[in-house]
Amino acid sequence: MIYEEMTNNIRSVCEKLLNSNDVEVIVAYRGGGVEGMQIPYFAKTPEDVQNIEWGDRCYQNIAPYVHGLSKKVGILAKPCDARILTQYITEQQIKRDDVYIIGVDCVGMVDENGDPRPGCPDCMVRKPPIYDEYIKDDRVDSLDLSPPASEDGGLEANFERFRKEIDKCIMCYACRQACYGCYCKTCFIDRDLPDWQPAEIDAGTKMTFHMGRTMHLAGRCVECGACEASCESGVNVRYIIKEVTKFIEDEYGYSAGMDPEQVPALLVNKFDDREVGFLGGETHG
Amino acid sequence: MADPAVMISKAEILKMLAELMKDATVFAPASNGKKLDYMPVRNVEDIVFGDDIPYKSPKEIFFPRTEKIITFKDGDAEAEISTEKYVLFGARPCDLEALDIMRKVFTEGRFKDPFFEERYNNTLIIGVGCVDKKPGCFCDERETDMGYSDKCDLFLGAQGAEDYFQALHLSEKGRETLGRYIDGLRTFQNTGHEFKPAHTLSIDATEEELFDKIDWESLVETCQGCGMCTYICPTCHCFGFKDVDEGGCASRYRNWDSCMFPKFTLHASGHNPREERHERYRQRFAHKYLYVKKNFGAVACTGCGRCVRACPAGVNIKAIAEKIGEDLQ
Ligand code: SF4
Ligand code: SF4
Ligand code: SF4
Ligand code: SF4
Ligand code: SF4
Repeated sequence: MIYEEMTNNIRSVCEKLLNSNDVEVIVAYRGGGVEGMQIPYFAKTPEDVQNIEWGDRCYQNIAPYVHGLSKKVGILAKPCDARILTQYITEQQIKRDDVYIIGVDCVGMVDENGDPRPGCPDCMVRKPPIYDEYIKDDRVDSLDLSPPASEDGGLEANFERFRKEIDKCIMCYACRQACYGCYCKTCFIDRDLPDWQPAEIDAGTKMTFHMGRTMHLAGRCVECGACEASCESGVNVRYIIKEVTKFIEDEYGYSAGMDPEQVPALLVNKFDDREVGFLGGETHG
Repeated sequence: MADPAVMISKAEILKMLAELMKDATVFAPASNGKKLDYMPVRNVEDIVFGDDIPYKSPKEIFFPRTEKIITFKDGDAEAEISTEKYVLFGARPCDLEALDIMRKVFTEGRFKDPFFEERYNNTLIIGVGCVDKKPGCFCDERETDMGYSDKCDLFLGAQGAEDYFQALHLSEKGRETLGRYIDGLRTFQNTGHEFKPAHTLSIDATEEELFDKIDWESLVETCQGCGMCTYICPTCHCFGFKDVDEGGCASRYRNWDSCMFPKFTLHASGHNPREERHERYRQRFAHKYLYVKKNFGAVACTGCGRCVRACPAGVNIKAIAEKIGEDLQ
């Protein structure tokens, strides 16, 4: 019921937007044609707007679609998508004025089987941090905030869990492709000089890929869970990434994707940095 | 088909698998901790019965994700051909039909692949029928009968009353296995099984038409290029080689590759004939629905629905095939 009402509100905002010619395309969701799925959708005409749907299955992150688009776009942004857009702005990947953000509250998504979507149960952000238009869901006000994900286990335990997790990994890179932050034209793992990927796809190769990706996301992960959700093998890649996220929050007071004015931790150069993350720097704690 | 049909109970099947485990690796549907997959099982209790389909296909038993195929040493090259014995239990009709397509590709073309062929010949394949279609499955529209496939050594029909299965042996290997492990086989009158697909999804067009008349860019505009669809697909079979120096000798590894990856057709010059994702998806589609059909006589999509369920972008090969059919009208 509530989703129907929100869908109607979203549709009327989108219709106005497309009619005004302020944007050429709106990135949103539609029914997936398969039971229990709502899938990414590009609405281009006012007529297309009737296909747009909002519900508890809109679990894919669609903000990455605006990266690299040269058109003016509108986008339906749930909180993690809005954090991604914020992060793109701080990383100078998109201009704030080129996106029209229809922010929407989110109480959490479920997957096609009705199970909570990875990332949602430990989500700390239920309202979009930036938007041009805002669609409210009253239920978020009464939701308890989840405990921070990284509070469970600690670095060593989570590293151990992660080592076991990657047994299941088939190195398909779906996690990388789904991650907003993996926008390099050529991923390090695909480079030949140096050759990061040994011939045999064994535990070491998998670790090289996942640790490399983790380091490249230091302080950039918005905890959207897309990596884990897109992994058809069921690998929880975030065990290790969330530890790095916590480290950056503790040491540098930076949370990715919350404030478009804040400079990302990795882009700051301070002479009095204790360089705790580096060999030879001051040790943590 | 009246002759080879018998009834066997679940307990007998488990006993048979336990015996087979003594000198073969048994792959069967089991949990990988989170998902159902065809896993090597050491304990029959780990096998998951029921109608769920493993998230990825059993192709890697015959064509592993990574394998060392040749060692070069002192001017000699030695092929590393597996002689291990395998049992694949619980393969679904869509996977069995797909495996047969793989077999054709790897053994009936201009080149024979001994690595695949040996594994295939050393494997006892036991199929199981599906009871219901899962969300995303479209086997019936792809000429796959969810209740039966003869592309195996033994086929178990759907589980019936009191945990009994109708077992059909379809090869000497299958007949011999049943005879060896099951005492007092109860035969039954197999009246056969009828499969009448309502409609068959196929593409009746030339490559040129597919290239020129279809707006691939808008058809797959949401594709993220992850390649998951090809890795879990039961008929995708592309691979690449990598040679490495391993302690005084050189080894050649073969790893899966995917036409959805940007490096798949990247030339040394830097030119890439399939620069864009939609061009890569066009290859995936045309290979399945056109090229394999032309070269081996069967469409390389059995409608297992895996890519439909797995795609993070909602790209649906069935919907795409239908749309192409309409656009070509
Ligand atoms: S973690 Fe999952 S999505 Fe990522 S490469 Fe491994 S199997 Fe693919
Ligand atoms: S690493 Fe995973 S959780 Fe973090 S931003 Fe990327 S996809 Fe989202
Ligand atoms: S293309 Fe998709 S539906 Fe067809 S066989 Fe492959 S995974 Fe299954
Ligand atoms: S070309 Fe693509 S579709 Fe065809 S087998 Fe290879 S990976 Fe699969
Ligand atoms: S079609 Fe879907 S599963 Fe295949 S590469 Fe594109 S996004 Fe990934």
